[in-house]
Amino acid sequence: MKLSVVKAYVLKELSEIVRSRLIIMVYLMPTMVLVLFGYGIRMEVTGARTLIIDYDQSHYSRLLIEKFAHSKYFTVQKELRLESEALDAIHRAQSDVVIIIPESFEKRLLHGQKIQIGVFVDTAFPMRGSTIESYVKGVVLNAASAIQERMLDRDAHTIAINQRTLFNQAMRDEDAIVPGLIGLVLLIAPAILAALLIVKEKEKGTIFNFYASALSKAEFIAAKLIPVFFLHSINIFILFLWATYWFDVPFRGSFWLYWIASELYLVISLSIGMLISIVTRTQIVAVVLTVIVTIIPGFLYSGILMPISSMVGFSRYEAHIFPVMYYNHILYDVFLVGEGLASAKTQLYLFILAFYGLFLMGLGSLILKKELR
Amino acid sequence: MRVFWTVVARELVRFIRSWQLVLVVLYAFTMEVYIAGSGIELKPRNVAIGYVDESGGGLSQKLLHYFHEPEFLPPVAFHSQAALSQAVFDKEIILGLIFDEDFERTFRKNKHATLNVLLDATAASQAYTTLSYLSNIVLNFSDTAFSVELVTHKLFNENANNATFMALTELLSITTMLSVILTAVVFVKEKEDGTWDIMLLMPVDAKSIILAKSFSQVIIVMIGIVISVGFVVFGAFDTPIHGSFFAFLVLAFFYAFTGAGIGLFVAAVAKDVMQVAQLSVVIMLPLIFLSGAWTPIYAMHPWLQTLSLLSPLRYFIEGTESIFFRGTPVLELYPYFLGVFSVGSILYVIGFRKIGHLF
Repeated sequence: MKLSVVKAYVLKELSEIVRSRLIIMVYLMPTMVLVLFGYGIRMEVTGARTLIIDYDQSHYSRLLIEKFAHSKYFTVQKELRLESEALDAIHRAQSDVVIIIPESFEKRLLHGQKIQIGVFVDTAFPMRGSTIESYVKGVVLNAASAIQERMLDRDAHTIAINQRTLFNQAMRDEDAIVPGLIGLVLLIAPAILAALLIVKEKEKGTIFNFYASALSKAEFIAAKLIPVFFLHSINIFILFLWATYWFDVPFRGSFWLYWIASELYLVISLSIGMLISIVTRTQIVAVVLTVIVTIIPGFLYSGILMPISSMVGFSRYEAHIFPVMYYNHILYDVFLVGEGLASAKTQLYLFILAFYGLFLMGLGSLILKKELR
Repeated sequence: MRVFWTVVARELVRFIRSWQLVLVVLYAFTMEVYIAGSGIELKPRNVAIGYVDESGGGLSQKLLHYFHEPEFLPPVAFHSQAALSQAVFDKEIILGLIFDEDFERTFRKNKHATLNVLLDATAASQAYTTLSYLSNIVLNFSDTAFSVELVTHKLFNENANNATFMALTELLSITTMLSVILTAVVFVKEKEDGTWDIMLLMPVDAKSIILAKSFSQVIIVMIGIVISVGFVVFGAFDTPIHGSFFAFLVLAFFYAFTGAGIGLFVAAVAKDVMQVAQLSVVIMLPLIFLSGAWTPIYAMHPWLQTLSLLSPLRYFIEGTESIFFRGTPVLELYPYFLGVFSVGSILYVIGFRKIGHLF
């Protein structure tokens, strides 16, 4: 490798990025995505819009309604008389759940008879729907069992749950989402930047400069990727600051591990973009392909939406093929768990990341052609 | 009019000639929608459970019977608490249950027994739901003579079928993405090649050229939507539609034009394809994620709620949900049409004006 040639090429690439104002995007995009999504994505269902129809109008039915009103998971809109009105509100997407308390609720409760409480849930959004359903169950069962116990004055066999929530004690959504978002951002932004570097030259015809020059394939790739690599390396720190200072995500692991893993991951996402750039012939194809290849698997296999251990069949294998899973494991470790390199799994994943990057780089210089097709 | 159709035909032919592009667009509208629909499950499914049983069986085993598929994987036994917590730390187990030695004894003695639970809360949404499942199971178990029963009716999507929902969401995101990028690139390519200025100087009406160029991309996106809905949403996932399919197509058409409007705007600002890529991602990601597809609007931060009123995708998604699941009659859909149409036409006019100027 002739360093002076590479250096000249790097300077040329760098000045191109700065001159075309792309540099603004390099730093604006990751920050914007992190802040917007950090605020915008909420997994917890709070304030489900609830309509309650109380046919009983008794002391105990009002007690139950109060339980709903006090829960942060429900916002009781109003108490209605008509079932049709309530169902209409659901149909117009103005309410999420309708709860119907039957006429003889109090009487039956006191006599220990069977009571049926009707619940209508909007499950057009399935996750939200089933979560609301299980919350309603929880509130009703809790309230009713408390009432019944007191009324019948008998000791029931009960089991209390002594729960120890690990890694995210307050179950804050920010803690669960923001580290995963870093993994997503550091995949999308560098890949999109790198995806156009080579194909742009192909479309404009300037690639012939490279074909005709003495530059080797490895030097060409190095020259293309080094400037973007350094520009994006700064983002690793910027994103870290946003996560810990703005979103107050705890950082329990070692910063060195975070840094090294992130740099390795950066190499991988740049290589993905570069591979796309080598394979495609026009810029538009490269853009669309990168967006498809990075954004969707980035979300799917990040562990934000669904733990990898819950995946079955094909999606489980696919999750192991994409690099996101390995990086995010380390990310969640350094932010929330703090085991660091003491864990054998983290060591293995760090090794896989390094290997992955090398493999993609090698593949790229292998399939890059230095001649006219 | 002749000019209009010639330009449309030219753009379509150019699109078809690039086989790579045709393949990528087809892939996006079919496989991508399919993968998202079959792959993402937001409900807890196959939650890995581990347990340590020091109570000697009986009650604890009975309790474990309640954790069944599809929500939970078969519980795995561990010898010690240390082994269990190591498994939780390695993300192999999400829910760890620890039955103490005197767990059963205290329960039998009419006292309150305590069940120790370790929960990995890094995937918060699963953690929430798993916890409420767990407490419902335990509550049910605690008192068998318990008499309150919930009769739940799931409206609109009876089986709470996630595949259908995710596939539709993905389709709408892809529609957004492609209508913006394809349109923007069609114009920016001309700008890059320097032919756009000449186009504007020609004695042909610039307006009809701009309209024709964006219309051609809308056609491509609409064909993609029809293929996707036909083969994936109806074909592979067998989604029921409760409302009017025609209304959905009209709504999608309006929306594709909105996307083209955003694309025009991007094209007017950007100088080359590189800038288009960066700009459109910056515009699209908030559009997609603030539309209510991932998080209900009312659960967002207040200023994001206000901001989401500007997202045309919000109206499109709510409208589509209403058409497919709620079966809302056509006449009651007007807020969604109005939303998509007004936001869309404003964006389109801005983009239209910006790109039509020579300087």
